Amino acid sequence: MNVQENREIKWTRSASWRRIILLSLIIVPTITASRYMAGVLPYKGETPLEIGLVVVFAILFAWISIGFWTAMLGFLVLLKQKKSFSLTSDIKNTPLDIKDPEAKTAILVPIYNEDVHRVMAGVRTTLQTLRNTGQDQNFHIFILSDTTDPDVWVHEETAWYELCREEEAFGSVFYRHRKSNVKRKSGNVADFCRRWGKSYRYMIVFDADSIMSGVTMVRMVQIMEQRPDIGILQTPPAAVNRQSLISRVQQFANRAYGPIFAAGLHFWVLGDAQYWGHNAIIRVEPFMEHCQLPRLPGKGPLSGDILSHDFVEAALMRRAGYGVWLAYDMEGSYEETPPTLLDELKRDRRWCQGNLQHLRLIFTRGLFPVHRALFINGVMSYGSAFLWLLFLVLSSIEAITEVIIEPQYFPSAELALFPEWPVWYPHWAITLLGSTVLILFLPKVLTILYITFVEKKAHQFGGFIRLCFSVLIEIVLSTLLAPIRMIFHSRFVVMTLAGRATGWGTQTRDDRGTTWGDAFQYHIGQTLLAALWGTLLYEFNPSFFWWMSPILGALFFSVPISALTSRVSIGKALKRNGILLTPEEKNLPLELKILDEKMEAPLSYTPFPLPREQGFVRAVVDPTVLALHTSLILRHRIASPSIRRRREDIQEKALLYGPESLTQKEKMELLRDPEQLKELHQRVWRIPEWERAAQWGLE
Amino acid sequence: MPTLQQKNMETWQVVRDRVLLYVRAMDLPPFEGLEIALESLKQANTYSIEEAMNSLAYTIEKRGLNKGVLDAQGEHIASIPSMNRGVMVSKNFDRTPWLTALKIFIHRWTRDLFGPSRTR
Repeated sequence: MNVQENREIKWTRSASWRRIILLSLIIVPTITASRYMAGVLPYKGETPLEIGLVVVFAILFAWISIGFWTAMLGFLVLLKQKKSFSLTSDIKNTPLDIKDPEAKTAILVPIYNEDVHRVMAGVRTTLQTLRNTGQDQNFHIFILSDTTDPDVWVHEETAWYELCREEEAFGSVFYRHRKSNVKRKSGNVADFCRRWGKSYRYMIVFDADSIMSGVTMVRMVQIMEQRPDIGILQTPPAAVNRQSLISRVQQFANRAYGPIFAAGLHFWVLGDAQYWGHNAIIRVEPFMEHCQLPRLPGKGPLSGDILSHDFVEAALMRRAGYGVWLAYDMEGSYEETPPTLLDELKRDRRWCQGNLQHLRLIFTRGLFPVHRALFINGVMSYGSAFLWLLFLVLSSIEAITEVIIEPQYFPSAELALFPEWPVWYPHWAITLLGSTVLILFLPKVLTILYITFVEKKAHQFGGFIRLCFSVLIEIVLSTLLAPIRMIFHSRFVVMTLAGRATGWGTQTRDDRGTTWGDAFQYHIGQTLLAALWGTLLYEFNPSFFWWMSPILGALFFSVPISALTSRVSIGKALKRNGILLTPEEKNLPLELKILDEKMEAPLSYTPFPLPREQGFVRAVVDPTVLALHTSLILRHRIASPSIRRRREDIQEKALLYGPESLTQKEKMELLRDPEQLKELHQRVWRIPEWERAAQWGLE
Repeated sequence: MPTLQQKNMETWQVVRDRVLLYVRAMDLPPFEGLEIALESLKQANTYSIEEAMNSLAYTIEKRGLNKGVLDAQGEHIASIPSMNRGVMVSKNFDRTPWLTALKIFIHRWTRDLFGPSRTR
């Protein structure tokens, strides 16, 4: 038995025992709580409605228990400070050096109509932090564009060229634009693998807003070199750089509670961890061999391309015999969160469809049980919202029917001496509510204790008092936001299952707030729903109305909640007062400092005064941009006569009515044809009338 | 009403500015850019933008400045490295029946808990 097999047996055995403990901790309290729940109900869970209520309650209780016990276990792991199976401890004292020159790593930055300036600032930061380690010769950066906006495409090309020129990075930073964005991000990465994957032993996958320190990336490679049994190594990215209230709350929650949850997750998943799609290193060869995703056959919302590809890739990597690990204690890995609730929900709409697709994959042959469980977990991320809504609706029906339908005192047909009184025990209900509150909030209290008394890092969160106040604000805001998210997520689940497909929208990555108009448009339905629901309850069962008031209140005020939580001014005001502070805000890490500098650096001089955002016009008019663009187009095919004629028509249209008259598709068509583009360039420069020429910026 | 002379003058200005703008957009060293503009305008000696731009295109071609963006070796610049092709083919995604999946699950878990010797 070699070292690797021995190691695998050791961790799989530990993991199995740990999972048994976790399952017991979830199942036993769930059964107890469900019995309590049945006891609280007027007919002790004997009517169909009450049976439904108890079943839904049990599922939801089990679901929140997973999070609770994960946090508890994480707390104990961190408290004991015994880093069993920690991957970072093995390389802690080794020099920052990749010994094998063949261990090349590609850093992939897949982008799709992103803010070019931010993407390039991120790439420059990555490059600089890698150069600081002295190990940059082992890394290449690939900007993999799936951009469909012609203006953004040209902007990306010119920005890449400027970056390479200014940073002397030709040969180490590459740019590829994909003609067709088949299979979206997973297809983009797979396309890289097919073209260049064999040249690299590892790839580190970024998101458009990911930042990682050079040291972290070198350490990740070192771990992969030491542990050939690992296929994917995921880092826990810290949320940074946002200023709006909602994102600062999320950043705070991520930084305060994140380490405990990550340690807990690591405790029971060990080498069966998840891959979150970014800020992770992947062994390229097995990935290419085992992790290609097929299209799910059939029609409907759960078929077609697999949207949440990362979970599936992790499951496939594990099926191939490689471990998928979470480096829960690794630092220097960052991401950015959506700046507003609406942006978050837009992202969730996409994720919801992807996660629900996993229903079809649960019984895929050869997958490991934990990955099947993680698929269910993914489904429940959105399914739980629907179940919660169902629970609330059933509870309301129960509360109303209790009032309007006369109780059956003698439910059995036989003669009975005594009637059966519907009895309600409020102290049982309070015990149940108390235990649910404990499950939801105890991890947060333990976090305060851990940060203050074990880590002794409360000062990084603004001090003990401010830390407590921040947790309080986070609890209030997450309580207010939970019902709003519940309604949206339930809608997403229903829409997805009803076959209303989701588009692939670009994620907003700047701190633009939600306007009152947008908030009204998206949330007015919830306000009306809450008003109607509340009126009914108050009319029929006022005491139950007050039980429901925190949820109905949040829904009723969803318009101002959505608008106000998106405000940068509120986020900044709290920051000035040291509230919701994170260690990264207190002491900006070097890589984020570099990012800030790169973001604020003046743009390089361009002799032709056209805004960079007008990429298409620049490609047509500016001879240097045209030369660059046509140089970068790969393997241009000679168009068939019919296509050529169509393109000539587009060209005529552009000349007659200016660039604004063209659709995105028409612009893309011209950009893909260097001959047509050159011809248009020549003709535009020869336009005699100044008004027409001015449309192209020739003034 | 502008006189013919005035009109010609205006056209000349437009032609001159268009040629100078193009040269500016080419981002050439100062003397070279101005020399090209001067040469083109002298050769064209016209009020027609089209002819002036044709003359400019000819001058640019003559000086070898229309070859696109070149790298240090004089080759067309490439934003990607040379390819090293591989394949990615998706594996089976067939689903296991419920009972079989459960049996495999229990078997595997028992093995993980108590070691290979117990289950053999």
